[in-house]
Amino acid sequence: MDTTKQLKEEIKIKEKDFKFVQLDEKIYDEKFEGEAIGFFKDAMLRFKKNRAAIVSGWIIAFIVFMAIFGPMMNEYTYREQHLEWAFLPPRVPGLEKLGIFDGTKEIRVRKENIEEKYGDALIKVVEEYNVKHQGRDVAMAVIKVDAYKLNEAEDVYFWLGTDSIGRDQWTRLWRGSRVSLFIGVMAVIINMFIGVVYGSVSGYYGGWIDMVLQRITEVLGGIPSLVLIMLFIMYMGAGIIPFILAMVLTGWIGMSRMIRAQFYKYKGQEYVLASRTMGAKDRSLIFRHILPNAIGPIITQATLAVPGFIFTESMLSYLGLGLGAPEPSIGVLLAEGQKVLLNHPHLTLFPAMVISILMLAFNLFGNGLRDAFDPTLRGQE
Amino acid sequence: MLRYIGQRLAAMAITLFLIISISFFVLHAMPGSIVGDDPMIPQEVRKAIEAKYHLDKPLPVQYGYFLKDFLSFEFGTSLKVQPRVPVFNIIAEKLPITLQLNIFSLILTVPLGITFGIIAALKKNTRIDHTISTLTIFFISVPSFVFAAVMQYYMAFKWDLVPILLSTEPTLTWTKFKSMILPILSLSFSGIAGITRYMRAELCDALNSEYMLLAKTKGLSQVQATVKHAIRNSFIPLANIIVPMFLGILGGSMVVENIFSIPGTGSLMVRSINALDHPLSIAVLFFYSLIGLISILLVDLSYGIIDPRIRIGGRK
Repeated sequence: MDTTKQLKEEIKIKEKDFKFVQLDEKIYDEKFEGEAIGFFKDAMLRFKKNRAAIVSGWIIAFIVFMAIFGPMMNEYTYREQHLEWAFLPPRVPGLEKLGIFDGTKEIRVRKENIEEKYGDALIKVVEEYNVKHQGRDVAMAVIKVDAYKLNEAEDVYFWLGTDSIGRDQWTRLWRGSRVSLFIGVMAVIINMFIGVVYGSVSGYYGGWIDMVLQRITEVLGGIPSLVLIMLFIMYMGAGIIPFILAMVLTGWIGMSRMIRAQFYKYKGQEYVLASRTMGAKDRSLIFRHILPNAIGPIITQATLAVPGFIFTESMLSYLGLGLGAPEPSIGVLLAEGQKVLLNHPHLTLFPAMVISILMLAFNLFGNGLRDAFDPTLRGQE
Repeated sequence: MLRYIGQRLAAMAITLFLIISISFFVLHAMPGSIVGDDPMIPQEVRKAIEAKYHLDKPLPVQYGYFLKDFLSFEFGTSLKVQPRVPVFNIIAEKLPITLQLNIFSLILTVPLGITFGIIAALKKNTRIDHTISTLTIFFISVPSFVFAAVMQYYMAFKWDLVPILLSTEPTLTWTKFKSMILPILSLSFSGIAGITRYMRAELCDALNSEYMLLAKTKGLSQVQATVKHAIRNSFIPLANIIVPMFLGILGGSMVVENIFSIPGTGSLMVRSINALDHPLSIAVLFFYSLIGLISILLVDLSYGIIDPRIRIGGRK
């Protein structure tokens, strides 16, 4: 220490001691032609080539749009009941003239009842047959009736029909999509946040901190997550917030493992060492220098996690742990539809279509992102 | 190896202990009491019931009783679903049908998945490969209960090919098997797709590897080299997804059992949750956790057996 101090005092370098060497010389390096392409631009170029992913992106955008504005598109609310108009089939003005969405349904009835019960509403008799009932033949018929006429609702249009207590299925479907999407996306955002912080700390500091943190995730990850989620929901009671929290319980572990691996990969590299030598603090090393390397995998993993959470939510609804009435979610709608599937398939059909398309779109979109961010992973899991 | 298994078993025991502890506290934090708040129940009866279930003692003491019962495999009796029947018997009674479903589903899933995967890998980047890959992502994305509902409506109800619900015959007969076709199918689709995708990726990797080049240099034909080296090698990692798949099907079967009204452990769980029959719910959850942990353990152990190059538990 003393010697350096002495040296410092002995050698005094003033500004005028320096002089510019190359100021007048011409540098003969070639200039880059064209613009430099950054990380995101590069990824975007590759992403645009993936048609399936682009289409999926638009589909997701459409479903999100409908989830926000769909419930406002007609005059019904998601909880408004019309008990006299239960189980009406879909009917859309305009389309009804084409023979689809025309508010008709086929039902099996006793032949003798047709005139008396259905009268005007009858459109045509599809099929006639006999069944044995208590030893004698009963004439039955499959008839097509206009359910709206039957229920004196000729001027009413329920675009996707109504459920068991006459609630508008269109409004409920899109409100349900909104709830399901909200649960999925919020769970992913919280998981991402926890996972990134946890993984960064664990990966960057290493040593005993890493040891302790990893043991915690091991124990948590060892419990089958479905079991943990069910216990949590049983305890908290169903609701949007409990659902999100339940998915967060173990959902962040995957993200934190990935981030930790990224830190182990980058923290020993020269540029990190250089930055540390120049006095960068831990915080800026973590968030400015190492974490941005993982931005691609983070986005990909987050996108691919959304359909999983939407699926879990629907599954829990099927199992009777779903949201309480009257709030719909896609899972609640499916579970309600399942009870009357054979007689009123339209109640299952539309939610099933939305959840299938949504999950498919998210998977394709996520795969597209993964290929765009890291082309070497193409075709793998 | 033995030491490693010992460590893993110890870790498993800790996890199970955590699960039953969480279960216990969740059970006891539930609002309401198992006696019910019916004012018609006389005080003495209420007291007697509370004494029987140790509800009159402080929570730590109750926890002690609970642990003691659990460790001696006394899982208690059901409260509402089948009152006074031991929980263990109920599960044992419901288990065979669930296992049958899962085993049939695996029998269907594994060969089909492997076959499609091999075809896709061998015909890489052809139309066949693209078709298989598209179908794969479709079947992975669409949830099993959507398939179940759609098939139930069309194949069973509209076209009348198979029964709508599971037949109630006690033994496995042809008619019973026929009624099991739809549940088995709806459980299998995502599994087939999963194995196909995995097998394709593995085999594509193997086909490009250097030992394939060596095999061909030695004079093996493409077919010989593929069958003897590439396919065999790509089976190794496959074993590790089949065991967890069993667990996955078990979980997925909860919903499918519900749809086809199959009296298995899945629908037992649903009924116990809906009836607030907590001892039963917890026993079923415990059962599922146990299967989950055992399958994870089996996977980890199988690494070493299937591929001797991987040494588990060895020093780093």
